[in-house]
Amino acid sequence: MGFRNWRKKRPFGGAILTILSGLTILYVPLNLYLSTFLPGSMAIIGLLFGGVIILLGVCAMFFPGASRILGIFTIFLSILSVIGALGGFLFGTIFGIVGGSLLTAWQLGPAKQKASRTTGIDETAHSI
Amino acid sequence: MESPIQLVEGMTSKKVFFSALATGIIALALLLVSFGISGVAYAVPIAGVGDFYVEFDHLEGTGYTFYPKMGETSAEASAPQGTNLIDRLTIQNLKLYKDFNVGGQWIRVEITASQPVQISGLEQDAASIQANANFSNLVLAEKHSSDWQKQFKQTSSTIVLDHAKIKTHYLFQKTMSMNGMKVVVERINK
Repeated sequence: MGFRNWRKKRPFGGAILTILSGLTILYVPLNLYLSTFLPGSMAIIGLLFGGVIILLGVCAMFFPGASRILGIFTIFLSILSVIGALGGFLFGTIFGIVGGSLLTAWQLGPAKQKASRTTGIDETAHSI
Repeated sequence: MESPIQLVEGMTSKKVFFSALATGIIALALLLVSFGISGVAYAVPIAGVGDFYVEFDHLEGTGYTFYPKMGETSAEASAPQGTNLIDRLTIQNLKLYKDFNVGGQWIRVEITASQPVQISGLEQDAASIQANANFSNLVLAEKHSSDWQKQFKQTSSTIVLDHAKIKTHYLFQKTMSMNGMKVVVERINK
């Protein structure tokens, strides 16, 4: 029950998708680096983008209040990652766009009230 | 008395979600279309293809470096090769091909470019290079190092290769402009 409550108060799905996008984007430049160890290559941009996108996903998980701006950054960076990392063969870019959109669209609002029990116990205060 | 505290939870605004998604997809499409129009593919790795051939009539490049290495091929985990780095180059009549043995018959995947191909940031590992070569400011230098790859290096400010056939194991280019490209997959007799 604790995890469900924790999950409901943050853009969980969007953040997971964003982290997945970062990992997919990292795959291409990481493979290039492991096979060549060549400095000064454009693949370093891919490493940077992949790493920052993972960081954005983690931030969205723990700072849900900033999810809108984090989502906009995620969309922007995942599109740019096509340059230098092929956007994780475009899968990373697509995950990034969907994940970033979910983050952007996430907001806190009044919860749907379940049919209240007649016992009069106030669950509201408990869950806050 | 009723509690003034209200329960809150996260929700996703469909309107904002679809607007952001559409914006992202449009931006991605614009980026890909701009690549298509300029004929440029960014950071194209043809890694792991292994053991394919590059042939061309004429190559002119600047900023050439060569050093030996041990690298992967499709047949071996580690085979002796040389790494060629060229900063900027133009190639006439480029032809890349690789042959596959599929169920007892040979299939060739061939990529050709009828227009001059412009490449920047080329990195290529080759087991053999056959060509008529011209260099300027050619330096072959030995260095004392415990790392055998750093013991020998060849550099030149320009490189010109004519009628080349190169057995390649790895190819990476930062940018590549390949106008008049043609990809053919066909059966061959070998």
